Amino acid sequence: MSAPPGSETALTAADPPRLGERLRAAVQTRAFLVAVVVAVLVGLYAGGVAAGASAEHLASLTAWGLMLGGIIALGSIGLTLVYGVLKFPNFSHGALVTLGAYVTLTVMALLPAGRALAPLSFGYELIVGVIVAMPVVGIVSLAVDRVVYRRLRRTNAHLVLFAMASLAMLFLLQSIIYLGWGPEFHFYYPGRPNPALALPFGIRVRADQLFILGLGIVLMFAVAALLEWTRMGKAMRATADNPDLARIRGIDTERVIAWTWMLGGALAATGGTMYGLSSQLRPEMGFWLLLPMFAAVIMGGIGSAYGAMVAALIVGVAHQVSSSFLNPTYGPAVAFVLMVLTLIIRPQGLFGRPEG
Amino acid sequence: MSQVIVLKGLMLGVALSLIAMILLPPGRRGRIAGGAVLGLGLGFGIAATMPPGYLAYLISFLVMASIYAMLALGLNTQWGYNGHLNFGVAGFFAVGAFTSALFTIEAPTGLAAAYTQVAFGLELPFLAGVAAAAVVSGVVAFLIAVPVLRLRLDFLAIATIGIAEIIRLVFQNERWLANGPQPLRGIPQPGRCLFQSARCDWLPEWALWLVEPLGTRDYNAFYLVIVAVFLAATYALVERACRSPWGRMLRAVRDEEASAAMNGKAVAFVRIQSFVMGAVIMGIAGALYAHYMVAIDYAHFHALFATFLVWIMLMLGGSGNHRGAVAGAILVWGVWSGTSFLANALDPVLAMIHADMAGRAHYIRWLLVAILLAGVVLYRPQGLLSEEMRVSRYLRDGRGR
Amino acid sequence: MPLLKVEGVTAGYGTMEILRGIHMTVNDGEIVSLVGPNGAGKSTLMKTIFGLLHPRSGTITYRGQPIDAREPHEIVRLGLCYVPQVDNVFTSLTVEENLDMGGYLLDTAELPQRRDKVYAFLPRLRERRQQRVGKMSGGERQMVAMGSALMLEPDLLLLDEPSAGLAPKLVDEVFDNIERINATGVAVLMVEQNARKSLQMAHRGYVLANGENRYDGTGRELLDDPDVARLYLGG
Repeated sequence: MSAPPGSETALTAADPPRLGERLRAAVQTRAFLVAVVVAVLVGLYAGGVAAGASAEHLASLTAWGLMLGGIIALGSIGLTLVYGVLKFPNFSHGALVTLGAYVTLTVMALLPAGRALAPLSFGYELIVGVIVAMPVVGIVSLAVDRVVYRRLRRTNAHLVLFAMASLAMLFLLQSIIYLGWGPEFHFYYPGRPNPALALPFGIRVRADQLFILGLGIVLMFAVAALLEWTRMGKAMRATADNPDLARIRGIDTERVIAWTWMLGGALAATGGTMYGLSSQLRPEMGFWLLLPMFAAVIMGGIGSAYGAMVAALIVGVAHQVSSSFLNPTYGPAVAFVLMVLTLIIRPQGLFGRPEG
Repeated sequence: MSQVIVLKGLMLGVALSLIAMILLPPGRRGRIAGGAVLGLGLGFGIAATMPPGYLAYLISFLVMASIYAMLALGLNTQWGYNGHLNFGVAGFFAVGAFTSALFTIEAPTGLAAAYTQVAFGLELPFLAGVAAAAVVSGVVAFLIAVPVLRLRLDFLAIATIGIAEIIRLVFQNERWLANGPQPLRGIPQPGRCLFQSARCDWLPEWALWLVEPLGTRDYNAFYLVIVAVFLAATYALVERACRSPWGRMLRAVRDEEASAAMNGKAVAFVRIQSFVMGAVIMGIAGALYAHYMVAIDYAHFHALFATFLVWIMLMLGGSGNHRGAVAGAILVWGVWSGTSFLANALDPVLAMIHADMAGRAHYIRWLLVAILLAGVVLYRPQGLLSEEMRVSRYLRDGRGR
Repeated sequence: MPLLKVEGVTAGYGTMEILRGIHMTVNDGEIVSLVGPNGAGKSTLMKTIFGLLHPRSGTITYRGQPIDAREPHEIVRLGLCYVPQVDNVFTSLTVEENLDMGGYLLDTAELPQRRDKVYAFLPRLRERRQQRVGKMSGGERQMVAMGSALMLEPDLLLLDEPSAGLAPKLVDEVFDNIERINATGVAVLMVEQNARKSLQMAHRGYVLANGENRYDGTGRELLDDPDVARLYLGG
């Protein structure tokens, strides 16, 4: 275990710091982490150029990366809030993302097909689908909490049991998805053309992608406003900060936790649907997003919704730009590298508070 | 009894004896003798009475259960004794499997090379492949351990699940390495020639009559003996190591890292040692798996099969208890295998719910094991056999606590 | 009827029993001081009163109403507030947000005027109201903690070691603040390691040792009792 930075300064007050300690103190700063992240991004762009990618292509990749970042952000907000309040990495969050995408699909199948809202490729039924999927997934994630995690909370179970239970829930939800919808790929609109728009600077993006980015930004601001100004939002931050004190101050933390699950589940459903819209629906899509989401959560600082959003955009861009010279399936590996760098340099992330 | 039955009974009996010796309660004088008698008796009894089809199933069941038992032992060294929350068992399992395959396989030439690409094929003997798997897996673990092991418990879990996924991605994408997305075929099996019509050229003339009635279908019984020997040796090794001062140090570091450090233990180094040792065991299990399957591909190393099941085995058996880990592995592999019959039985029920669901019955197995793990976590987190608080083999159970 | 009545309370963690049949009362408008050596169970008693720990036997009543089975967030509603010894502020929140959390149970419309009252009482908080509490000094944090507890205008305030770890000058200020709070009619139950000083201020006091009642009486009586002075007040 690395010592928290505070204890080191206490140590160094008495003795002149050794070179190793001074080095570590310099490395564990936010500025150094930012520099490393920027260096990784620059390296990825340089790799793209070296592999012969055109400036237009790289610009388009950046735009797609921001869009992917929006999707990752929607998934990571719930993950980071739950991590912050309940202090365990919820592996089953990936399955919630997938579930959201599939619930939207089922709702759409029940609705009469409408015309596409040009220039977007989808019609009203996708929007209705998301609106239904949000509370459905929210309730599912709440139900899982009630059945599993709350019992563990009551017995003050060790972190490991929470992590293990969430792994079990990941596979449980995934098996339900496999049972209900099968292993094959699905599309919201099979075979519907979705031409790219030609934007300035030779950037080519589809209207859907702009919609996804826009929706992501709107929801991110909505979450920020919720956390900053509403009573429940402040209570969420307070509970994440210090659950015992929150109870002493009269906050019904179980209710706060319930709302946290609902919010996290609803955002995961949106993220999943947007992910499904941008590519296709696969039962493992959420598992595949798990690494990028955890990378965003850790880079942003656990419990910090704003941090997760910013870091998600960085992860998304890094992910897409790396595809200019790497096999695109290595995307999660790029996210993983960013995550491990953060953990080594500054485990509290870009926006987290120093521990202690 | 015919010669085939005697031979099969002997092979099954030896394997069962070794497993029985592990599972019998420790500390009794008759453990080894009792295990031998029990195992051989059972082996001959089963070989004599069981129809060949069922016998073949039982043998393949025991092979897989023993391989999983080795994974569980490896994980127990990491988690049970030293508290590493390794959610990336699949990664080390895959590294071991592919390494041993590449070291023993024959590099394809001519037309075959167009279909099967490998980085190299050394055609070394089986044991060299296993040794290579152990070494490479250990080296990978060491390289991972240095930056990652000092992380907090929950970060380690996330990082290891990521590492396993990346290892899987590498084997999926890199065609040049081990045939990429296509299966890597033709992994040689040790002693296979004993069972083929053209007998091994090293086999002396006088011994030919011994194996004469055996056919290729009987090979798995022989492989079971190999796997059981590896399992028993691993068990003996980890059991000894964990009872030694080194094992006490591992537990001290796990429970009270700060006081272990204050007592002059090199905590960081100890943690790396146990992580690497666990990974070596997992790598050997991977090698045994590869030579059993003959053809492997990246999809075999999915987190569900190679990480999740192992964790259920260890949690159910009791972490910190090697005997429990082996028992848990056999039990959970039994449940997993048993659910395949259940899933088949449920197929018509699913078909009644919706026509599309008929072919998806095997996902019920996932559902059931997920519920099993959740149940263990909620109702019996210490497992069936809890940790033995044994300080040293010179002290009786429970003393010194 | 006493405000708070603790009768024969036994409580502890796991297999460890820390309180053994404690009796205690607090009346309206009183300052009651709990003193005793380390490990006597003073903080545990505070936590048990506030529902963070439930007694194994015995009863706790507030204005005649049993509260020993209730959760902290329910107990706050009755008019008790509690300032723990450590971790008593939300470090990632600003001063104002901390006060708002103190007044979490209030109607949102009421918050500004309650905040103003607290600011009037502790003016230094007003200057710092947009600052994150994590960046503030120990004395300032203590002030935030006390201010948050006052947001609900409780009838009984539980203070656990309010002066622990503070510089002597700040200790005086804290005691001064407690007397001012009490002067507005709020009863105070406090645990203090600075026993002599707290007994001088208290109307009544209880001496606990080993999880049991040892002595009780008015603050003066306890200060003058030679046994108490010798055993618990350092001669």
